[in-house]
Amino acid sequence: MSSTSSIALRWVLGGICLAVVGYLLVSVGHLVKLVIISALLAYIIDPLASALESRGLSRAAATTIIFIVIVGVMSVAFLVIAPVLVKQLMAIQSSFKAGSADAMLQRLERALQAYFTAFDFRDLNLSERLQALTGSAAQWIFAHIMDFVSLLTNIILIPFMVFFFLKDGRQFKKHLVGLVPNRYFELTLNLIYKMDLQLGNYLRGQFLDALIIGVLSTGALWLLNVKYFFLFGAFAGIANLIPYLGPVAGAALAMTGSVIDTGELAPALSIGLAFVVVKLIDDVLIQPTIVARSVNMHPLVVLLAVIVGGQFFGILGMLLSVPATGFLKVATQEISACYRRYQ
Amino acid sequence: MQTIWGNLFKRRSCGEDSLKKILHNIPVFQDLTDRELLHIERILYRRSYKAGEVIFREGDPGLGMYIIEQGLVDITLASGDQKLIELCDGDFFGELALLDDGPRTATATAREDCRMLCFFQPELMDLLKVSPRLGVKVLLGLSRTLGERLKRANEYIQILKTVESDISDQRRMNV
Repeated sequence: MSSTSSIALRWVLGGICLAVVGYLLVSVGHLVKLVIISALLAYIIDPLASALESRGLSRAAATTIIFIVIVGVMSVAFLVIAPVLVKQLMAIQSSFKAGSADAMLQRLERALQAYFTAFDFRDLNLSERLQALTGSAAQWIFAHIMDFVSLLTNIILIPFMVFFFLKDGRQFKKHLVGLVPNRYFELTLNLIYKMDLQLGNYLRGQFLDALIIGVLSTGALWLLNVKYFFLFGAFAGIANLIPYLGPVAGAALAMTGSVIDTGELAPALSIGLAFVVVKLIDDVLIQPTIVARSVNMHPLVVLLAVIVGGQFFGILGMLLSVPATGFLKVATQEISACYRRYQ
Repeated sequence: MQTIWGNLFKRRSCGEDSLKKILHNIPVFQDLTDRELLHIERILYRRSYKAGEVIFREGDPGLGMYIIEQGLVDITLASGDQKLIELCDGDFFGELALLDDGPRTATATAREDCRMLCFFQPELMDLLKVSPRLGVKVLLGLSRTLGERLKRANEYIQILKTVESDISDQRRMNV
């Protein structure tokens, strides 16, 4: 067989393999999501295992100790927090029935119609729209998060996968790198090392930052006597993982919730102010200290990445868009630098 | 299929024992205990090269050292294809790249089918983080090896200088 047809055959076979792998990944999409989440969690807590290893423990022992601690903390948190969370979720939906939100929204609607005559605000129906939105959001939460079977599967599968990613992660990496041809072996290893240096710190920093923001927001909302302080605080923490849009979404949800609950605008404004203060603390104190600025990307690129990630892969896509874009950026830089050096 | 308990409590295989022997003979690792060698074994990469395959080229960015588990390797200089040395089982090369980010100073080519153990800079950096005591021991071994090579290079320079002065003396006498 001539070399041209052999190369063509290789390309065709490669394309078929890629298509098959793509199809399999799409068909087991939920499992792929679980694997990505578990691998990320294991990657984030890897330095803890390394720190224990440096004290003389084996990797298996270090992973087991971390795991026992995490499972213990999670169990206590689940037992204490889950009932509060569910109660607050149920209460927010039923607060519509109290009627105070209705009155407030009608006042807001009348004000809009009076002051902004240039716009057509006649059929605004804010109350109905918000009620429908909250209803569908609650339905979504109960369908996706509170679905008992999937919840149970996730609760068992994620820790199981995290454990083995944490314990055998290095071996997995070795096996994967082992598949790379000799010619590109050192290049690949160097690339992984550089990306680990740049993205590892960023991811861990973001995770810790989200945790601190969650605690600060919950504290601030509790001080402001917000009924659903825990729900909104936790959401603000998680949303903080999404750059630019996250903090705004966190504040908007808490403010809307407050309007629905109290039927007044003043508490919502003080909540907004509290979120501004938390954001300032984050920008001035937390971010510079713990979040590595090594993945230096233009804000517009970050924003576009978040939107594209959300469009294709939903919330998980939004959360992973920045690290994924950073990964691509570092990979492109390193590959072109190595290519130049190899020339 | 490997069970969960099998994964958690793995036993050493015979291959790992022979690997330990090879590593013990490498000056960089000779001061390490059996337990420490086990740690090193876990971070080494095993690669196979066909006869005539280039392991790395002079001028390529260097990332780490290679230990020959089995086979023959030629180290050559690209300028005039000058062969510097031939290495065999248990020998090692490229250790300078563990400390220096500079390009490779020579080309390494497998003369016959080879099995290699590779120890790379990222793994050394990781080792210094995870197990600083062991990392420092490896660095000490590495420094000793490089010191030995420097001493030998100085001796060669000394010999060359003596030869050069002898030649110039001879020329002067002839004149």
